[in-house]
Amino acid sequence: MEILSALPVQLLHGLVYGMLLFLVASGLTLIFGMMGVLNFAHGTLYMLGAYFSFTLLQVTENFWLSLLLAPILVGGIGILIERFLLRKIHTYGHAHQLLLTFGVAFIIEEMVKWIWGNEPLFVKIPAVLSGSVHFFGISYPTYRLFILATSLVVFAILFTILFKTRAGIIVLAAVSNRDMVNALGINVPLVFTALFGVGAALAGLAGVIGGPYLITNPGMAATIIVDLFVVIVAGGLGSIQGALLASFLVGELQSLGVLFIPELAIVFEFLLMAVILIIKPEGLLGEKG
Amino acid sequence: MNRKILYQLIVLIVLVILVFMPNLISEYKLNLIIRMAIYALFAVSYNILFGQAGLLSFGHAAYFGMGAYTTLFLFKHVKMPLILGILSGGILGGLLGLVFGIFVVRLGGVSFGLLTLAFNQFIYAIAEKWRPVTGGEDGLTASRPDMYIPGIGEVEMFSTVHWYYFVLITVLISIFGCWYFTKTPLGRLNLCMRENEERTRFIGYNTYLSRLIIYVLSTFFAGIAGALASSFQEFVSTSFINLDKSAEVLMMTFIGGGGTFVGPILGACFLIYINDLLSTLTERWAVIQGAIFILLVLYAPRGLSGLAEPLTKILDKTGEVQRA
Repeated sequence: MEILSALPVQLLHGLVYGMLLFLVASGLTLIFGMMGVLNFAHGTLYMLGAYFSFTLLQVTENFWLSLLLAPILVGGIGILIERFLLRKIHTYGHAHQLLLTFGVAFIIEEMVKWIWGNEPLFVKIPAVLSGSVHFFGISYPTYRLFILATSLVVFAILFTILFKTRAGIIVLAAVSNRDMVNALGINVPLVFTALFGVGAALAGLAGVIGGPYLITNPGMAATIIVDLFVVIVAGGLGSIQGALLASFLVGELQSLGVLFIPELAIVFEFLLMAVILIIKPEGLLGEKG
Repeated sequence: MNRKILYQLIVLIVLVILVFMPNLISEYKLNLIIRMAIYALFAVSYNILFGQAGLLSFGHAAYFGMGAYTTLFLFKHVKMPLILGILSGGILGGLLGLVFGIFVVRLGGVSFGLLTLAFNQFIYAIAEKWRPVTGGEDGLTASRPDMYIPGIGEVEMFSTVHWYYFVLITVLISIFGCWYFTKTPLGRLNLCMRENEERTRFIGYNTYLSRLIIYVLSTFFAGIAGALASSFQEFVSTSFINLDKSAEVLMMTFIGGGGTFVGPILGACFLIYINDLLSTLTERWAVIQGAIFILLVLYAPRGLSGLAEPLTKILDKTGEVQRA
């Protein structure tokens, strides 16, 4: 069976895409899942990460430096968006946030086309990561395994910070009762701005890593944004473990869908989301309430 | 001046202008007005959910697209008469709303929005893959039939002016239907459920069934709008059904202001006009459009119709003085 021999590699493809999706979604879990800010521009921030890294690579010719600097730049832009735009409307509902971030996304996407052009850009990856790894009779690109490793490291760090440190406790408390934590003498608006910055920086990091894999192009924000919201909602709002699980499922569903029923591959993730929302509206690992 | 009389006067003036519109402007502009009218109906149907029920839907294009495909398919293969074809588009839109509504109206908030989005994507995938019926990525092409009126005979619909009057009358009747709905007990209940669903249930209303009926009503009119839109362009493709379309109607409604009945109409006209204007002025119009969105959210959080609020307050005050 030809299809079955392709299965292990296809499963691995699904895992890699799923984990990259998680890397982008982890930032949105903080911003949308926890803070409740419906940030449509999250995909755009991820795209910015990819483009910044392209230019940084041209200037510094050092992938690792761009891996450090691009997320910081994107995080800075995130902080500006939160501080000067979103904070002003935080008492309104989701529709306001959605339209505002639509506007931000329109502007950034148009600027990206203006500065870097409409053509896809190819980003060189460092020599260490450009080969292949052989295991169990499979030969697999090292770079994709690097994506996998980075996402798992980010998950571990986020999980530890959120649940094991004082900073994490403050964030969780501020999310669950903003006024009370504010009254206890913690500068909650500052916490939220910082959280938004971290979320944006994670999107930027995902962009740097995803750019060489999914090809840096002006449409990359639009292609990922729907997957992102599927992951966040199917996983359960604000649950970082849920986002990991849902990312894995969406990645594998797309990958296996392409292998077995290519005509309907695009529907599977929505089928997954619909089933989850109908049976368990709070999401896979979401809490009731 | 009394506020009610003023409103009636404004509506009357607008109607008179609309009736004489073909004599006043070029054919290009008349096409733009037809587009505005169709999208005004789409936005008004959306606002039954968005403004009146407080439900943020990301999937209203599914019903718009359903109406659009149904009508054009019937024109092409069954040679269906004009009015029956448009009505069928609305009915199929409403039926789809019934099927999906059974699942979505149980939910609120973000879950509601995302489930409507998921259903929208199903319909999109079907439109793209069911080639024999939908034409796949190429879409469907069919010209709109002439209309038979008893006593007058055939009225040809190829002419923009005739088509303009047909759209105008259909849209006006539909929008009047939506307006009348807000005055019915069910329309009032819609607002009541938005404010506090739990209490509404405790009073003894079946909120699930009420929401479902309201959802079907809203999707029916979205279907009519879609049917008019595809008959207008004599073409339908997946762009009628994609998420951009769902986002577009949300933007129109929001920009105009979901808190009032006329808001979505204003929003639809404004967005179509601005897009037309900006695309002729500059290549980078998306930047300006984005900036307009941001400024509107920051400085007119209740939409364009919210901007007029101080004015109506002054009117009310002078009214009080007169009554006193």
